[in-house]
Amino acid sequence: MTAQDAPATARFTETREFLAQIRNRVNKTVVGQEVVIERALIAMLTSGHLLLQGVPGLAKTLLVAAVSKAIDLQFSRIQFTIDLLPSDILGSEILDQKTNEFRTHKGPIFTNLLLADEINRAAPKVQSALLEAMQERRVTIGNENYALPAPFLVIATQNPVEQAGTFELPEAQLDRFMLLHRLEYLEPEDEKEVLRRNMKLGVRREGKGAVARTEFDAIEDTMRGSTEKLVQAMEDVQEVHVSEAFLEHTIEIVNRTRNHPKLELGCSPRAGISLVKASRARALIHGRDYVLPEDLFALAEDVVLHRIRLTYEAIAEGFTGPQVLQEILSETAQ
Amino acid sequence: MSSTRSTGPSMWGRMPSCLVRLFGAALFVVATAVAQVQNDRESTVGMRARIHELVLPGSEVTVKPTGHDTPVVVRITAKRPHGDAFRYDLEWVALEVGSHDLRDYLARKDGSPLEGLPELTVEVAAVRPADQTEPVDPTPIRPENTGGYTVQLVVATVIWIIGLLAILFVGRKRKAVARATEAPPTLADRLQPFVAAAADGSATDAEKAELERLLVAFWRERLELEGLKADRAIAKIREHDEAGQLVRQLEAWLHMPEPPQAVDVEGLLAPYRSVSAAEFDESRVGVAAGAATGVGGRRA
Repeated sequence: MTAQDAPATARFTETREFLAQIRNRVNKTVVGQEVVIERALIAMLTSGHLLLQGVPGLAKTLLVAAVSKAIDLQFSRIQFTIDLLPSDILGSEILDQKTNEFRTHKGPIFTNLLLADEINRAAPKVQSALLEAMQERRVTIGNENYALPAPFLVIATQNPVEQAGTFELPEAQLDRFMLLHRLEYLEPEDEKEVLRRNMKLGVRREGKGAVARTEFDAIEDTMRGSTEKLVQAMEDVQEVHVSEAFLEHTIEIVNRTRNHPKLELGCSPRAGISLVKASRARALIHGRDYVLPEDLFALAEDVVLHRIRLTYEAIAEGFTGPQVLQEILSETAQ
Repeated sequence: MSSTRSTGPSMWGRMPSCLVRLFGAALFVVATAVAQVQNDRESTVGMRARIHELVLPGSEVTVKPTGHDTPVVVRITAKRPHGDAFRYDLEWVALEVGSHDLRDYLARKDGSPLEGLPELTVEVAAVRPADQTEPVDPTPIRPENTGGYTVQLVVATVIWIIGLLAILFVGRKRKAVARATEAPPTLADRLQPFVAAAADGSATDAEKAELERLLVAFWRERLELEGLKADRAIAKIREHDEAGQLVRQLEAWLHMPEPPQAVDVEGLLAPYRSVSAAEFDESRVGVAAGAATGVGGRRA
């Protein structure tokens, strides 16, 4: 029997079914985004954070809402704008006029799953406040420290077009996101399925009137996966076997980004850690209790690409980040 | 409280140097005036000369009317009263070689004789030889090539082209020769030591990882999957009969914590122990065609 055909150990069976259920439920709402759903699950299982980059209308927000409803998680959404303040996210102390005492008002960050929509539209100090909270998983309001709920996951989105009035996240802050996934347009068949489903949405009566139902209304709100099962899955990720050979492959990729002539900035050690963590989660999602090089290669673009920076000469010669990364991966597989 | 005194020489002390400078300046002015006078009184045939600020005593003088054959033409360009006399600016042109007295061409305006007028002798020389009576040959003479800019440009361009050709071809030829003599090891060559080490169980973790990468690259190249992304290429390799079995066995050996059955590493790698670069290249076409039709290629 080969490695691919080997059955997963019994302790993973339940987890694998749980993860498959979540994927199926999200797939009922979001069409043709299996990879994005997988990345969201990876981020959730590893307590990493996910940045989704794509043009408007690719169901980024719908996907996150569907994932949050598939599991019994608290969900908050913040639409980032230029006039947003750190206290709008973290919370603040307000004076209670009945008791004449300050009362802490916790912001929307106190949730399990936070959707930071269009994160690059907020001022750098707001981005910084969020990213610090993401890293430390603690928030300071007034003189008090508050731990964020567990699990805590930020899924942020940003639009690669319409850059006017935006503040691009610097590499140091992008590094806080374990994964940056670039969404692409759907395949024609999937897009046709989206249209078919949309046609069936109908209208929702509200009092004497009615409104057209959206895809958000179609998200199933029953049979939620429990947080307990999610925690068990997170624990199982930690049990996924990582071979020495796999670690060698990871180090090889990370080192190649640091020594590549077309790259000014290579991967940080955090990138290597993220590659291994994400690979373990991917292996579990695919029903394995061990990682394979294919996990590494499949995740490299989402883990590595936002952590590297091309040299001026490489940009002038017309090279792009994905091209250079594929060059590195091809060299690694040689 | 002390006062400050000048330590420089006194006015009397500076007197000699002042006198020397004054005398020098006066001498310069006189010499310049004499030289000017000398120059004003000398010219060549046909060349105009001027005498400025000439004081002639007596009543006002004017130029006598002259004919076409006059040897000197004189003109009074300005006159100003100067006490009982007049100051004149004269302009003269001599048409004959020799000494001429300009008084011969002047007369009193009031008709009185020119008595008391100083001598106004001018010297006229000839530029051309005395025996040359004909005009200079008007045939144009081709001027010498004073600039040579075009020639310089051509020379510079030729040198530049030669330099460019030298840079393009001379250095590269040497490098190409060097490269030809030091050909890099082929994938098959690189594979051999790792296969040998893995087969006899002496491979380190790094060598095992390198072996896996080389075997994947070996099949990636053989199935002509270089254009695909690495993860998709691995998925394609996995679909291939022979390569897929190899990759799965490798993964079981290298990555599974407890393989369901022992992997015969030596047997697995045996076909790759002796594969040569030439054999590898030959097999590429057949295997790629086999992969396209879903048929496994021949064993290396």
